Amino acid sequence: MITWTAPRSRRRGSVIRESSSSPIADDGDSLRFCSTCAFSSACLEQGYDKSRLAELHVLVEHVGPFAEGTHLFREGEPFEAIAAVRAGTVKTYVNDSEGREQVQGFFLPGEVIGLNAISRNTYPCNAVALDTVALCRFSFPGIAALAARMPGVQQQLFRLLSQDIGKAALLAGNYTADERMAAFLVSLSRRFAARGFSPKRFRLTMTRTDIANYLRLASESVSRGFRRLQDAGLVAVDRREIELRDLAKLEAMASSILRG
Amino acid sequence: MTPAITFDAGLLRRYDQPGPRYTSYPTAPAFTPDFDAARLRAHARRSNEEPIPRPLSIYVHVPYCFNPCFYCGCNRIITRDRSRAAPYLLRLAREAELISPWFDRDREVIQVHLGGGTPNFLSAAEICELMECLRGSFRLTTRADRDFSIELDPRYLHLGDIASYAACGFSRASFGVQDFDPEVQRAVNREQTVEQTLDAIQACRDSGFRSVNVDLIYGLPKQRCEGFARTLDIVTAARPDRIAIYGYAHMPQIFKPQKQIVEAELPAPAEKLALLQLAIERLTEAGYQHIGMDHFALPDDDLSVAQANGTLQRNFMGYTTHAECDLIGMGVSAISHVGDSFSQNPRELPAWEQAIDAGRPPVWRGLELSFDDCVRADVIQQLMCNAAVDIAAIEARHDIVFEAYFGAALAKLAPLIEDGLATRDSTRIAATSRGRLLLRIIAMCFDDYLDRAAQPAPRQRYSRVI
Repeated sequence: MITWTAPRSRRRGSVIRESSSSPIADDGDSLRFCSTCAFSSACLEQGYDKSRLAELHVLVEHVGPFAEGTHLFREGEPFEAIAAVRAGTVKTYVNDSEGREQVQGFFLPGEVIGLNAISRNTYPCNAVALDTVALCRFSFPGIAALAARMPGVQQQLFRLLSQDIGKAALLAGNYTADERMAAFLVSLSRRFAARGFSPKRFRLTMTRTDIANYLRLASESVSRGFRRLQDAGLVAVDRREIELRDLAKLEAMASSILRG
Repeated sequence: MTPAITFDAGLLRRYDQPGPRYTSYPTAPAFTPDFDAARLRAHARRSNEEPIPRPLSIYVHVPYCFNPCFYCGCNRIITRDRSRAAPYLLRLAREAELISPWFDRDREVIQVHLGGGTPNFLSAAEICELMECLRGSFRLTTRADRDFSIELDPRYLHLGDIASYAACGFSRASFGVQDFDPEVQRAVNREQTVEQTLDAIQACRDSGFRSVNVDLIYGLPKQRCEGFARTLDIVTAARPDRIAIYGYAHMPQIFKPQKQIVEAELPAPAEKLALLQLAIERLTEAGYQHIGMDHFALPDDDLSVAQANGTLQRNFMGYTTHAECDLIGMGVSAISHVGDSFSQNPRELPAWEQAIDAGRPPVWRGLELSFDDCVRADVIQQLMCNAAVDIAAIEARHDIVFEAYFGAALAKLAPLIEDGLATRDSTRIAATSRGRLLLRIIAMCFDDYLDRAAQPAPRQRYSRVI
């Protein structure tokens, strides 16, 4: 069962009925997309605002909120949909043959989960909410049809897919702990900035263990890395709040990993 | 340095009321038993997961005392039977084994405090054994600037043992004095000579202790300004790095030993205030800085430096430079502060023993801080440590509009401003020199638990603020 399919009790009557042509349950605007929507600009470029997107209305469903620790889908479950994160952070991971967790990525508001399932019939990883998560669910066969009609949407899909593959670059390669840490922070900064959030101040919703796992470092090394960056005046850490004090230097440190 | 502080009788009557000491907010009476070991464990796990997990601070409570001081409000057990120490130590070791796996091993313990009761009820060998057992369960720092402190009762101290305390890691000692006036000492059942005390302080210095603290109490029975002035002169001449001056809290219905104190012998509120003013005068004349409510320190002491830098904090051990730690309390009645939670061990020895013997972490009650608790705790912390609140800093840290958020609190503050205890403008709230003696009263304006109906009236729970 896929948790992100909104349970009946959560659906607000006629507002989110899948077959209904009523407006998308949004944050109150019947014309505009969510500010973080991965597809809004693609649709708008094609001249489709929300009122004209009858097809999309059928496909798009706001689901959640999901509590911290909720699995949104699990490895091996049949592929049904991709989803844009509207709020919160989602972690994807797999378990290796010895049962050890391998973190694959973190998804912030505006980013899309489930893309790596497109080429298969099942999800190839697990997705779990790291805090309170709200999603915008796109049932896939529908969006494929839509993509065929709107080249911009298709392009956006390809772009998202390639970004998803690009993330793997962080994990591979012979980089130092400091380079990995800097690349991780710069990547988060750029992604927050792209969605209109502050590029310099954000909250790390992922645990130290998850960050360490993702960067293939020991937990202690992650903390030592943060401490070194802090002592050098590049970041300020207050519990989970991070301030990037010298983004230019961090960018330079991260440049070998985040080429281009 | 400190201007003369005058109180008229009416003002004194109005503000001589019970109030919390705010070693925590919310205060311990708000803790509830639904906060159990599983929830403490969850907070501990979560605290490991910050990018830079906080260092750890350990408080160990030793409840035993040889002799009852009548003023005491601490959790203690009077006995001369030293054999009770060994089983208590065994259980402390077990408690450390139960709790320590919850905390990642790379988190360094930078503060240890052995309090009581009377920690030197334990022999020097037992104290070193306790430290070794903590070293087995936690990563105790080896840094030279560590804060490993022990409360010592000079009356039962073998001066030769002080070198072994230093050898097992202790760098700070705290001595109870209260008052050297023999009449006061007899009235509170604590007879301690000047020589015992000064010899102990000297022995600490000789053994390389970094810092020595002396505790005094004002407001004790038969205490008069003349006698207390002599005590202050003797103490300041010994130049301890820190001096704490606590107001005696007479609450015999809660602290049974206090029933032995003859109420008629207690100084009246005006006399009590005179004792405090005397202490402030003498200590500042002697070059000590007034750190906050009840603490003084020499200008080069860490507390004075921290206050100047704005990094001073307050926790269950009083003022400290280390509140950015997660605090693990062990032993009967000990309080922990892990992440955004407070928790407390059973106050009664049998309950604490039973939990440990059953292999259960001994958590009796606690509380998970809400957003509102965190905001108010921040304001109260600022008041208690800096005698002022930086409004913009609070707004930025918690994303609130101060004036709107604290409407009710500011209304309570207004009469205090009228009485000249505090000032307020658009950027800050500050205690006046007069208000610095009544920081608890100012902090109480921001305490959201005092009015809650579910709790007994403050009068029954808290000592008078002066």
